Amino acid sequence: MRSASKSPIVMPDDLAIRIENLSITYKVSLEAKRTMKNALMRASLNQKERTRIIEAVKGLTLDVPHGSVLGIVGSNGAGKSTLMRCIAGILSPTEGRVIVNGKISTLLALGVGFNPALSGRDNIILGGLASGLNMDEIAEKTDEIAEFAALPDGFIDLPVRTYSSGMYGRLSFAVAVSMTPDILLLDEALSAGDAAFKEKSFERMRQLCAEARTILIVSHALATVTDLCDTAIWMHKGAMVAKGKPEEIVDGYLKFLNVGSLPSNYEDM
Amino acid sequence: MPVNEGFVPKIQVFEPHRASLPPLIPYLREFWTRRAFASELARFGDKAEYLDSRLGKVWLVLNPLLLGMVYYLVVTIIRPGGSVSGMTRLDHLLIGLFTFYFAQNCVTAGALSITSGGRLILNQAFPRALLPFSSAIQSFQQFLPTIPVYIFVLVAGKWAYPTTIVPGWTWNFLWIPFILICTGLTGFGLALVFATLNVYFRDTTKLLTYITRIWMYLSPVLWLPSSLRGNMKILLWINPLGPVLNATSRVWVSGESLTQPIILGCILWAVASIVIGGYFFISRERDFAIRL
Repeated sequence: MRSASKSPIVMPDDLAIRIENLSITYKVSLEAKRTMKNALMRASLNQKERTRIIEAVKGLTLDVPHGSVLGIVGSNGAGKSTLMRCIAGILSPTEGRVIVNGKISTLLALGVGFNPALSGRDNIILGGLASGLNMDEIAEKTDEIAEFAALPDGFIDLPVRTYSSGMYGRLSFAVAVSMTPDILLLDEALSAGDAAFKEKSFERMRQLCAEARTILIVSHALATVTDLCDTAIWMHKGAMVAKGKPEEIVDGYLKFLNVGSLPSNYEDM
Repeated sequence: MPVNEGFVPKIQVFEPHRASLPPLIPYLREFWTRRAFASELARFGDKAEYLDSRLGKVWLVLNPLLLGMVYYLVVTIIRPGGSVSGMTRLDHLLIGLFTFYFAQNCVTAGALSITSGGRLILNQAFPRALLPFSSAIQSFQQFLPTIPVYIFVLVAGKWAYPTTIVPGWTWNFLWIPFILICTGLTGFGLALVFATLNVYFRDTTKLLTYITRIWMYLSPVLWLPSSLRGNMKILLWINPLGPVLNATSRVWVSGESLTQPIILGCILWAVASIVIGGYFFISRERDFAIRL
């Protein structure tokens, strides 16, 4: 989903993502239900729809080099997920632009796009095709995905609705990382599975980084950010408050939250 | 460039293009590249739909056939006799109903495709028109098994009532693919309109139930195109499915060729539906992720 750029594209070779003065604003309806019936009622009474403008991202400028792991922290409503969706090309910028150099794979919410009535194998095919792979590439990767997801014997051919939440999350993660992306976008995707699977996920991401692939991680688990990322940004109310080393960013964020730096705070903030 | 081996640089630029179309050539190229996604989604959608049903895909044939029987009874009770034989009326009704349901399924399933594909839309960037397109493919796959049913009814009717007029082999049957393509394109174009409306107004599909019912009564399904008199003939042209259903009756039931106005009518409605529906949908699709 490329756009025809009006201004010249300046993209140094070492950059995976360039974000220029990005703002994302959208209007949300405050009506309980958006229906044609309500719209006609309002029109007949000469009333306007009650709406609110949300400034999800405000004037953000950022360069992300190839092979880096960028962590994004911030409270709920900070604009982290909106930013990720814009980088993935899912949401449109209101101002500014995003330049992406490479194939993107996303895992922006656990299990997205999975049809619970279909088997894990069928969902792998659909997930792969939605990511832009062809049938041959998917066929090559199916067993590898099933193995990585560590599904119990035979579960790959059972409907996904029979999976536990851990199995569901592991399969989603396995599909996303197996697409050999140049840029991997993960939004709260590392909470799937037990400690062993988490370690396996971390290992896989380190391997992706070693191959000069770029990873962006949104996580409230601050330990994940400090363990995996080489850079982090802190977002608050749509703006980037700080950028720097993950430990410094996490410390600053914890001080801002006024919760101290107890180990438990690194679990889920 | 410090990137992995085999990586082909692919620069994507995301910029504001609110209330206008994204660049169409890359969009259509990506749509075409990912067509396998639409066809597999249709195949799996079909599989998921009938997975828990004991009769499974038999319903694909039973449902329109039973509906045909119901409507046949209604039509013969309301207006018995007429200028054509009962079997010919049944043949016209069945093939008209099957073709109408093909288009109707494109529209109703397509209208739901975006709102029901919400999680996929929130996670992946792909041309959203692939979802209603997948519904159109699924509707076509569901239409196909009704053809042998129609042929069976035709042959059985001839056997039971030897006076029934059955068209023998004629080259005019070569018009059938043309009719089906026009029906599918018209249905897909209308699905794009209703899929967009359904994102903005969630009761669109409820309204669609009534629209499709009225649409069928205004289409040459329960009545023969030749039964229209005077100004009423306009119904065959202002209805997006008027020309294709008229063509369906001529070719399938009578084995006649298509007239130039009918061919033009079919093409014009198919093109108009795709152009208007496509513009309406594509110019708003970047808004879908916010609205869902």
